[in-house]
Amino acid sequence: MTGDRNNNEYLPRPARITAVRRETFDVKTFSLEFVDRADAFSYKQGQFAEISVLGQGEVPISITSSPSRKGPMEFTIRAAGRVTSAMHDLGPGDALYLRGPYGNAFPFETLKGRNLYFVAGGIGLAPLRSLINMVLDSIEDFGDVKILYGAKNPEELCFRGELEEWKAIPGVEVYLTVDRASPGWTGPVGLVTALWDAAALSPENAVAILCGPPIMIKFAAAGLSGRGFGDEAIVMTLERYMKCGVGKCGHCNIGGSFVCTDGPVFDYAQVKRMPEKEGVF
Amino acid sequence: MSTYLLRKTDVRPLLKEASAVWDIFAPLREGVGDVNFKALPKDRLAEALENLVLDDEPTLLSPKTIFFPQNETMFAFGSGGIREQVESSPKLLFGVTSCDLSGLLFSDGFFAKDFPDRYYLSRSENRLIIVKGCLKPPRQGSCFCASAGTGPFAQRGFDLQLVDLGGEYLVEVGSGKGESFILAHSAFFASGDGRERAAEAVKRDATATLGPGVDFDKALRLMVTGDFEKNFARIGERCVYCGACLYVCPTCTCFNVVDRADGGSGSRMRTWDGCVFEGYTREASGHNPRPSKTARTARRYEHKLKYDPLVAGRSGCVGCGRCLDSCPVGIGMSKFIREVADGTEEM
Amino acid sequence: METRHTHTICPYCGCGCGLYLVSEGDTLTGTLPSSRHPVSRGSLCVKGWNSHEFVNHPARLARPLLREGEGFAPTDWDRALNEVATSLSAISKRHGPDSVAFLSSAKMTNEENYLMMKLARAVYGTNNIDHCARLCHASTVAGLAETFGSGAMTNSIGDFDEADLFLVIGSDTTAQHPLIGTRIVKSVLDRGAKLIVFDPRTIELVKYATLSARQRNGSDVALVNGLMNAIITAGLQDEAYIAARTEGFEELRKLVAAYTPERVEELSSVPARDLVEAARLYAGAKKAMIVYAMGITQHVSGVEGVQALANLAMLTGHVGFPGTGVNPLRGQNNVQGACDMGALPDVVSGYQKVADPAVREKFAKAWGVPRLPDKPGLAATEIMNGAAAGTIKAIYIVGENPAVSDPDTNHVRKALSKLEFLAVQDIFLTETARFAHVVLPASSFAEKDGTFTNTERRCQRVRKAVACPGEAREDWRVIADIARRAGYNGMNYAHPSEIMAEAASLTPIYGGISYDRLETFGLQWPCPGASHPGTPVLHVEKFTRGKGAFKPRDYKAPAETPDAEYPFVLSTGRLYWHWHTRSMTGRTSTLERESPDCFVEISPADAKTLGVRKGEKLKVSSRRGTITVRAEVTERVKAGSVYVPFHYGEAAANLLTIAALDPVAKIPEFKICAVRLEKAGA
Repeated sequence: MTGDRNNNEYLPRPARITAVRRETFDVKTFSLEFVDRADAFSYKQGQFAEISVLGQGEVPISITSSPSRKGPMEFTIRAAGRVTSAMHDLGPGDALYLRGPYGNAFPFETLKGRNLYFVAGGIGLAPLRSLINMVLDSIEDFGDVKILYGAKNPEELCFRGELEEWKAIPGVEVYLTVDRASPGWTGPVGLVTALWDAAALSPENAVAILCGPPIMIKFAAAGLSGRGFGDEAIVMTLERYMKCGVGKCGHCNIGGSFVCTDGPVFDYAQVKRMPEKEGVF
Repeated sequence: MSTYLLRKTDVRPLLKEASAVWDIFAPLREGVGDVNFKALPKDRLAEALENLVLDDEPTLLSPKTIFFPQNETMFAFGSGGIREQVESSPKLLFGVTSCDLSGLLFSDGFFAKDFPDRYYLSRSENRLIIVKGCLKPPRQGSCFCASAGTGPFAQRGFDLQLVDLGGEYLVEVGSGKGESFILAHSAFFASGDGRERAAEAVKRDATATLGPGVDFDKALRLMVTGDFEKNFARIGERCVYCGACLYVCPTCTCFNVVDRADGGSGSRMRTWDGCVFEGYTREASGHNPRPSKTARTARRYEHKLKYDPLVAGRSGCVGCGRCLDSCPVGIGMSKFIREVADGTEEM
Repeated sequence: METRHTHTICPYCGCGCGLYLVSEGDTLTGTLPSSRHPVSRGSLCVKGWNSHEFVNHPARLARPLLREGEGFAPTDWDRALNEVATSLSAISKRHGPDSVAFLSSAKMTNEENYLMMKLARAVYGTNNIDHCARLCHASTVAGLAETFGSGAMTNSIGDFDEADLFLVIGSDTTAQHPLIGTRIVKSVLDRGAKLIVFDPRTIELVKYATLSARQRNGSDVALVNGLMNAIITAGLQDEAYIAARTEGFEELRKLVAAYTPERVEELSSVPARDLVEAARLYAGAKKAMIVYAMGITQHVSGVEGVQALANLAMLTGHVGFPGTGVNPLRGQNNVQGACDMGALPDVVSGYQKVADPAVREKFAKAWGVPRLPDKPGLAATEIMNGAAAGTIKAIYIVGENPAVSDPDTNHVRKALSKLEFLAVQDIFLTETARFAHVVLPASSFAEKDGTFTNTERRCQRVRKAVACPGEAREDWRVIADIARRAGYNGMNYAHPSEIMAEAASLTPIYGGISYDRLETFGLQWPCPGASHPGTPVLHVEKFTRGKGAFKPRDYKAPAETPDAEYPFVLSTGRLYWHWHTRSMTGRTSTLERESPDCFVEISPADAKTLGVRKGEKLKVSSRRGTITVRAEVTERVKAGSVYVPFHYGEAAANLLTIAALDPVAKIPEFKICAVRLEKAGA
């Protein structure tokens, strides 16, 4: 029996890969488009979509491209599990299935006029990149923009070309750090939280936006709090194992919240109200 | 609310007549003596009706499974793309207990909100529920509907409700659909006028017989303010991860989604899942935000008794007692609620 | 679509839980336990609850396959069956009947096992038939037959509700027989029953134990002799029982005198004090059950281990009463039945010896053949050796996966690839099937009628819930078809009930079993007559063999012990989440997700010495092979010992294990070999 596709949120729509860009040894950025243009959706900064490799399964991936820009939707993906590894074997022209967009979004209008600190670890820069590019497209509406980004080692920094471009924009500062240096690395070595002083971190009229491994978010949020950032001025996007993306399957439930529908963007005040034993970080 | 009378001897003929229109689900005795809430096979209807059970025997699974089966194909895929699979036959559920009705209403609300769940809603969109209140507890010592406020008789949400008056049932009408059903089969029904007081007395007696066993409201209050980590740790140590408590629960709705394929074709399937399993929250990196048995146990009890009241406005436990009855090591809600309310150690 | 329920029996362990399969058309959509079934009683383990899921998997074999170069090409049944029948016949003719061998399956029904042994014996004239019981409880069958006269679990699962004490040795009961393990847990918690656990690993049951100890791997015979020594020293033996019911006590007394608690402490590392206390508890209990499994049987001294336990039970009068006995927990759903039906090289159904001319005559007459082979055939382990040596030329394997399940699988894989002809009948294209010349698509438990016999000897009805996928066929039909094509016309059945009727007529312990008596919860053998109610407890007034025979057994060392080069003891076993080679559980989403990959359990002390952290990869090597697996750092194992589950074909523990055999039971010593550990990539 074939039903009305439009009222079944679980049915993914056929899409294809238009381009693949390698970021690191196990991270690639995929550009996707729907086969049928009627399926195309508009999305907001920080939202995610469910990508299927039929036969392998489905994974939620944040949309890394910016809604402020024309062009294909982009997804930056680490080959970590079954589906993502299968995706890494695909190239331009190959078929995928896609549904979305899901989740809430990063604030935008309320950020205008404020100084923004983007704090990212590893592949956590991908969700932030959507908002960063959106901000950069109307940079005149914002205060200082500082991007603090750390990775395990220099080879695991994503979007290296774009980081250079961002650096060149007036009013934008980019600070990089790595856990372990490799030959040729001249920048700082240490956690992203060790960049606070270099970036002259100040809570004044500022909002910090975080994404990265749970342990990084945990220490970064606490660190920012210690530096005088209010709980509402610390915004983060949480990752959690999820399946359906639409608040039904239950996997991403924390306390009474679903990361997929109530998030994935939360501020620190909301996160603090979540039960600690649920392993928010 | 209008009321009718239905003779017990007319129940089987009524269902036979109704089966022309409806797929009928009811508590039926299986060959080996078990009672399961299941479909009456249309090709062996008379025989199946002989096995209809009307005397408050427990059924292992709740009727939730009719709308949310353990494994459900969401769509098939292959060279022709994606083919959605949904089911939407008309279903008459006869002899649903009041606690199970509460469970169904809870699941209905959950699957309908925000992003409506096409599979559940399609299976349940055309259904008629005939509740039969319990006069004695189906799961003596495990169930506690009177304490949980979910029974033994329903206040709302049914199409028809039967009150056992001995040789006949008083039939309460709870919806227009229920009224239409009676009109469609009017030969089986007489007016219930004058018997309502007798029915009220039956309900009062049943409520007195069935409870209250535990102070459920007190337990719900304490779940918000109290600290039960020691209980969770103790229970988590005992759990053997069979999943039964999730599988039999009328309000557990969690599922996993998996693709099953051979070559290019296969299907996407969803399957019951839940918080007692370690892999339920394990991420691809290996990181698990809920790594301990204690945390997973807490999740189950707090979800039902703390967060559901907060988010859905009512407890996720309807007091059916199935989790305790199906647990091979004797863990269950009724025991936990007693631990919380009375400060005892039941498990 | 109409949903249907079919009452049947779980396909996993020997508990034999009753369950319902829920189906919509020919698709299974769920499982639920039977509430009144005497074993499941409204519960199941996680495998049982998900037992339906693999049945519909799209990778199920749905067409017969013929080897074509390195791969396979689909063919039709006619050609496939002819190929099997004629190849077996031709090889049998060319090299003699004993150049052909048959591996039956403890996953198949009794009826199918009966047909397999009939095919081997009546059609192909060889006793070379065996199945995986060789790998699990061959020691039990041999050991208990000699001491008690019947090689099966003496008591019933229901008896666990009335025992005062459980002595669990070499059985991870909650993981491997969950519905028995949880009965022990509930007995301890709800009734105050006592529990003694001896296991080299800290298993789940240790949490509930009155007394527990981790004996040195392979020291069980010494340990049990020590218990008997302590009992006799304290004068706690049941003299009246010994005098009335047993023989050979004096020899036992003499032998165990040497096993003083102090000496046993040296041999087993169990503190003498604990040994004496355990002896006191066991001997003093009113009703005490001994529960054991592969920790006892899978040793070169497997038979001795079983007999030591039998001696202990007789010494204290704990056999022949409800809530007592020696209780081997059988692994597979129908391993008991496959043994009962004679899928063994030395006996036909009902343990009637092929060496006995009267037995051969009875069966030859019933089967319409002039004679049956009199020489006991080769055991499964010997069949593989025969294939490697070139004396076995052809094997017909049904529902077994020796390429993963047998010890020293490098050797097995070489042996399989040397065969002139290999036919494999299974539900998935297993690692073993990849070596086949012909692959026959078979039926799962949900697709046929038949019976399984559980660990408590309960013969129960298995019912067809759905049709086989594609062209796959019920195994009993396939076996009968092969027989017909080999020119035999004594295998014509319309339904498995007719096969059971034939088997019952030739098998005294099943004599009273017929389908019309199995509608509800089955019958426990021995059930010799049509009105016999079955036998929940064996050896009640007297032992099956008459007097119980004490068989004093000395401790002997394992075949391979750690040395400087291979300093760790490796033990292998199963996990709660998986079954054997994972061909079913690996295709069941919840189970595979809960335990997706192989690992090695290593003690924190050893992990520290090796500088390995939880989750890092370790190379585990024995003299026979190497696997690389994730390190699971845990107190469950003792320093110096490691444990690897054998489920994972991609990191097969049996590449490491040794094919050293118990000389009587021919069971391999899966539980002990010596290995070396290295950090992978270091």
